Amino acid sequence: MSTKEPILRIEGVVKKFGEVLALDHCSFDVKPGSITGLIGPNGAGKTTLFNIITGVLQPDQGHIYFGGEEITGKKPYEIARKGVGRTYQIIRIFPKMTLLENLIVVGKGRERKVIEKAMDLLHLVKLSEKRDDYASDLSFGQQKLLSLAQVLMLDAQLILLDEPAAGINPTLQNELMALVHRLNEQGKTFIIVEHDMKVILGHCENVIALNYGQKIAEGSCSEIERDENLLEHYFGR
Amino acid sequence: MRRPPLQKNHAYLGIAALLAFLIAIPFFASDYWITLVTLILIFTVYASGWNLFSGLTGYTNFGLAWFIGVSGYISSLLIADHSFSWLFAWPIGAVLTSIASIGVGYILLRIKGVYFAISMVALTEGTRELFGTEYLTAITHGGKGVPFVAGIKLSSLYWAILLLATLTLLICYKITSSKFGLRLLAIREDELAAETLGIRTTRDKIIAFALSAFLVGLAGAIHFTYQNYIDPSFAFSIHLTLTPIVMTLFGGVGTVFGPVIGATLFTFIHEILWAELSLLYMSVFGAILMVLILFFPQGLLGWMKEREILPRIRKI
Repeated sequence: MSTKEPILRIEGVVKKFGEVLALDHCSFDVKPGSITGLIGPNGAGKTTLFNIITGVLQPDQGHIYFGGEEITGKKPYEIARKGVGRTYQIIRIFPKMTLLENLIVVGKGRERKVIEKAMDLLHLVKLSEKRDDYASDLSFGQQKLLSLAQVLMLDAQLILLDEPAAGINPTLQNELMALVHRLNEQGKTFIIVEHDMKVILGHCENVIALNYGQKIAEGSCSEIERDENLLEHYFGR
Repeated sequence: MRRPPLQKNHAYLGIAALLAFLIAIPFFASDYWITLVTLILIFTVYASGWNLFSGLTGYTNFGLAWFIGVSGYISSLLIADHSFSWLFAWPIGAVLTSIASIGVGYILLRIKGVYFAISMVALTEGTRELFGTEYLTAITHGGKGVPFVAGIKLSSLYWAILLLATLTLLICYKITSSKFGLRLLAIREDELAAETLGIRTTRDKIIAFALSAFLVGLAGAIHFTYQNYIDPSFAFSIHLTLTPIVMTLFGGVGTVFGPVIGATLFTFIHEILWAELSLLYMSVFGAILMVLILFFPQGLLGWMKEREILPRIRKI
């Protein structure tokens, strides 16, 4: 895979829920090693797009390519194993399993290696002291960190974060975003759905704006900021 | 946090002593006691087998009697009508049931919660009708049942079920502390999250379901050989599903030794209540069940783990 080739290509994706067009011929590319912000008002199709990329939902039309390979119609576990990880807006971890178990269960290969890696990741998200606690005992923000650690356990190259900053205190929020940058420097690609424009403008290189399932704007942060009139129109800031 | 090795050795010694005692029972005990322990062991396999699938994945299987009845019928008919030895009839019954359960699982394990539970009840009831129908009398003997003698001594049958129960517990012990066991728990906790983290949930569920069917089916085959009789309403009885579930609830869902404790205690309670208050039996049983669900939903072992009387590890 050359560095110029997009890690993710969305091509003419259409998704209908009954009469509602959740995604309407949506197309864009994501460069490897980038952090892309995905913005748009409620119901714009952001989460639907995440569900389609990860195989949780199937598109009615269009194609999705990951690393040049078509992944449209593949099962969620297949797409995950190819290297696409995600977190959910409503946290989905395994509450009545310990932190360590939450990570080990995702790991592949020899048990000793898996446990070692799980411990390294718990250190990374500063939760190693709680390794034997149930995940349900963590705070909301800590659960978000655990969820990200699970995705890292999967060795995902492309990581989709659905509102990572929402509902957690500023300290933890900064910690989480600092971690995203560190992982990005190591070569991981991120797509971040976020309502908080400060987070988007402060951390993303590129921004894609959706409304009514269509891409309405795309560009660097500065371009999007200059497009503020347009954004104001759509987001009522 | 780790328990000292000495304590661990004590646990192994205790288990070895218990096993030696159980192996020796036919040499000194009366037939009454051998029979009672045989029933405890049969229900231990039923309860552990149910727990292995439902306790870990959270898919409540209300069709345990389907495993028991199908395997029981296959092995009983092989012995009664086709002069098979029990030694071959039992595993054939269990293996065929397990294979059939893969087909059933492939279809039914896509539906969740109460719908899966009801489908398994419907499957069991439908199969009971099938085995009872007069149109299949030539094969199944219809509703009047199949009396048969397998020519196995009570002591041999006892050792067979003891071996099976020991193996079942060993398998459960290994699975709960393995990555496979953790994957099954992850399915119970959040199936969609598990799937998007690369876990092949459908495959893992079917493997656990088929393994449960094999172990429970084998115990079912032994159960009906022990009874020397099988008929549809007995083989597919809802009691054969509910009793092991209640035993597991009592001992602790998702634990390794909970189902054994439940099976032992409830078989004794059943004996005492049946002998002393046979008319009150069902109402006392029902009252115990209500108290359990209201006050100890996590079961005896779950309760003890919560209060740290026992270490909070999956291997117990």
